[in-house]
Amino acid sequence: MTGSRSKSIVIWAFVITALVMLSAPTVVVLGASFTAGNIITFPPEGLSLKWYGAIAQASDLRQAFVRSLIVATICTLIAIPVGTLAGIALSKYRVRFARTIQIYLLLPFTIPLIGSGIGMMLVFGEMGALGKLWPVGIATCVINLPFMIWAVTASASNLSPDLELAAANCGAPPLQRFLYITLPAVLPGIITGSLLMFILALNEFLVSLLLVDARSVTLPVQIYNSIRSIITPDLAAISVVFIACAGVAIALLDRLVGLDIFLKSK
Amino acid sequence: MRHSRAAYPLTWRVMDVLERLAAAVWPSSFQRGLPYLMLLPAVVLVGLLVLGLIQIGDSSLRTLDTSTFMMSENYTLANYQRALSEKFFATVAGRSLVGAVIVTVVTLIFAFPYAYLMVRTPSSALRKFLLVALFLPFFIGQVVRAYGWLIILGNQGMVNEALGLVGVPPMRLLYNYPAVLFGLVQYMLPFAVLMLAPALTAIPAELESAASSLGAGWVRTFRHVVLPLARPGLVGAGLVVVTLSLTDFAIPAILGGGSQDFIANAIYDQFFRTSDQGLGATLSLLLVAVGSILVGVVFMLFGAGTLAMGDERK
Amino acid sequence: MMPNDKILSAQIRRRTLLGSMAAVGASAGLSTLGVSKAFAQEPEKPSEIIVRAWGGSWVDSLKAGVSDSFTKMTGIAVRHDLTEDNEIQPKVWAAVAQGRVPPIHINWDTTTNATKSALRGVTEDLSDLPNLKNTTDLAKPVGLDGYPIVNTYGYVYVLAYRPSAFPNGAPKSWKDLLDPKLKGRIALYNDGIGFHFPAQVAGGGKLEDIPGNMQPAWDFIAKIKEQQPLLGEDPDFTTWFQKGEIDAACTISTNAREARKNGIELAWVVPEEGAKFDTDGLWIPKGLPENELYWAKQYINHALTKEAQQVWLDGLGLPGVVPGLTPPADLVGDPSYPTTEEDFKHLIRISSKVQVENESQWFAKFKEIMQG
Repeated sequence: MTGSRSKSIVIWAFVITALVMLSAPTVVVLGASFTAGNIITFPPEGLSLKWYGAIAQASDLRQAFVRSLIVATICTLIAIPVGTLAGIALSKYRVRFARTIQIYLLLPFTIPLIGSGIGMMLVFGEMGALGKLWPVGIATCVINLPFMIWAVTASASNLSPDLELAAANCGAPPLQRFLYITLPAVLPGIITGSLLMFILALNEFLVSLLLVDARSVTLPVQIYNSIRSIITPDLAAISVVFIACAGVAIALLDRLVGLDIFLKSK
Repeated sequence: MRHSRAAYPLTWRVMDVLERLAAAVWPSSFQRGLPYLMLLPAVVLVGLLVLGLIQIGDSSLRTLDTSTFMMSENYTLANYQRALSEKFFATVAGRSLVGAVIVTVVTLIFAFPYAYLMVRTPSSALRKFLLVALFLPFFIGQVVRAYGWLIILGNQGMVNEALGLVGVPPMRLLYNYPAVLFGLVQYMLPFAVLMLAPALTAIPAELESAASSLGAGWVRTFRHVVLPLARPGLVGAGLVVVTLSLTDFAIPAILGGGSQDFIANAIYDQFFRTSDQGLGATLSLLLVAVGSILVGVVFMLFGAGTLAMGDERK
Repeated sequence: MMPNDKILSAQIRRRTLLGSMAAVGASAGLSTLGVSKAFAQEPEKPSEIIVRAWGGSWVDSLKAGVSDSFTKMTGIAVRHDLTEDNEIQPKVWAAVAQGRVPPIHINWDTTTNATKSALRGVTEDLSDLPNLKNTTDLAKPVGLDGYPIVNTYGYVYVLAYRPSAFPNGAPKSWKDLLDPKLKGRIALYNDGIGFHFPAQVAGGGKLEDIPGNMQPAWDFIAKIKEQQPLLGEDPDFTTWFQKGEIDAACTISTNAREARKNGIELAWVVPEEGAKFDTDGLWIPKGLPENELYWAKQYINHALTKEAQQVWLDGLGLPGVVPGLTPPADLVGDPSYPTTEEDFKHLIRISSKVQVENESQWFAKFKEIMQG
């Protein structure tokens, strides 16, 4: 059918442009990490693994990476219950002052990160908690929380009030209705949201910068700081290792639960 | 095997206990308070930021004494006066606002087909590929990614070299306003797609086939069926993009070549370069106000997005 | 962390130097430590001290020149915190204000930034460091009481250029940046630092009028704006030269030298109007436990020995604050490595007190012109 062909052409045109935009820098950085030269170039000047050798030696990078994983885990573990409950509350119930509450819950996005960073540095400093990892986990959770809430509310359109009513009519008590009907309906949103939260926390540098010290520095902060002096190919190599780790994690996830769960319409 | 003997499985018993517990803690007469209780943890968590904002609000009312580098003891509105009267801040604010709106529109135009294809494609391999392509850029820090663009778009970059082959002299593609907007679009694209996808997932594919079987072309189906149903997602994604690009710091700093500052860059300069916490705090608060008003306006114009679906969806 | 061939070979050179200096250094260090030991029991050693430093070749040279030999001498490990100087500042200030132990023991800082901290009163006094008596005047911060900071070397904001873009020979004046050929091909710091003072001269004004009347500087900067300069920070200049984005810049010579190390043809001059000279230094934030403060002071004291300075500043290519240092081979007689009275005549030095008090206005004015 011509109609569906023109539709495909239009959609694919946009998608391919988007794919180029998303992937071009990744490809360049990937290639540049194998350079034998001393500056990031593409195509690389000769091939070598020397920059991978350089980062393999650096134990501080490994430790920083482990810290980042801990921070991202804390962030996600907090975000899942908090964001899910808030998302369901906003989408399922008629809440008074919903708009005001929403504007309030969007504060993490309307406050510039530097402001959030300074503010939380003062708050956690007052509590004497700086230098530990949990404040960084909480902070990365707070500044990205709207993603979690919105991912849940967005998939809450799956939620059919009729279905719940039907369940109630069949005598299902509230908690069961919540666990067996509401929760599964918003599950795609929860999974998308928590993956996003994890990745964003894993890569956050601006707010973390103000909350860590030299003994608790996370990987993105360390990279950010190194870049401030000069960009050398070892940073490209770190990025590639990072991507490889992500690749393994995604493949694992795919094997265990199946990636389709993110988006499959029922 | 053994379990089948029990007419009433263990999980049910557990559920019963939990159910009774829940009823005891939260009798059904409190039902109306339930959504507020569910919102409470999020409100408390964001409250951390509010505590920070209070501190920031306090410093915004003090001026910097450059002979001691302390903030003044007494309160004054001098910082607000400066922020609102100096032309420089107006220029920067205008640039950020216009930029955020353009970026939002362009990002949504690209994100929508991407999310649509990702959700609707029958091929699970394609779906996975599109999903992975979205997530991978996150793992290369923003700064390294911007460096990648320098290699691609720089004066001696790949694009200019390619143009050179056909006789076009090198041109400056970076370090201007369009470069910053481009950088923001490619940075925001994954966020927008991920916000849109669940909303599109929720639109039954049957609705579209029904529309087309009734003779509607795909453009009409799109306009009258898909877009309206996707509105909550569009509003949500739009809000995410507009607020994040309005407050972004890294992209204008790296791709702007230093002359395309957004408000966040001006705030950074006050906090970190001139050590004027008062003025930095003032600018932060004004930015929060502008951002929140913008969000409020979007709510009034388009409805409260995803959360209003209960009332507003037809 | 960032070895490249040139740095590697430099490190080998440094290591041999280190070896030869270890003996001298150890005895020199021991004698100063010995003195303090005679008067007081040596306080308990912390397992490590944290020194804030700039990354890349900056931290590499500090490590080679100061940190490694300090560890060898005392057994105390040195951890380098690579947070930017202006980003650590609010962290340290907040720590002192909230009565917490600061996140670093020693801050390697620009003198201007350090002066702000000194004025705010968050710095420890360093007047009692024994090695201060061997230093030149440069070590003493101008316009402050005592030694809240110790300056450790100086640097020049030179006019760095690509010789191929200047076929008629090296630029002689900052006004040469106004050549239409250079439109979109020049770069300055994004706050204009290093450029305000020479611009004052190039715009026909007098240095004595700073800060009272800087209109000539603003007029000149407005003309420069027409040239559509790129504005950036230290690493940007190196990158831009390497990637062929610019042909000339007002920047610290170290950044140009870094690009030259990577095989880019570059040179630099001090133009006839002069060039800004400034210093970097080390300081200790208040709020450290007594014993850690003692060892932090020993670190700075050690950084002032001739042996430490020689290796450290060899890496940076900058002139130090103890007499008798040998300049690196590629910088002998270089205008960015001033050693004689005559060299300093071409350089502009404004007290850091005047700078910090007016900096935010200069900065705002520069931004207003450039962002307009």
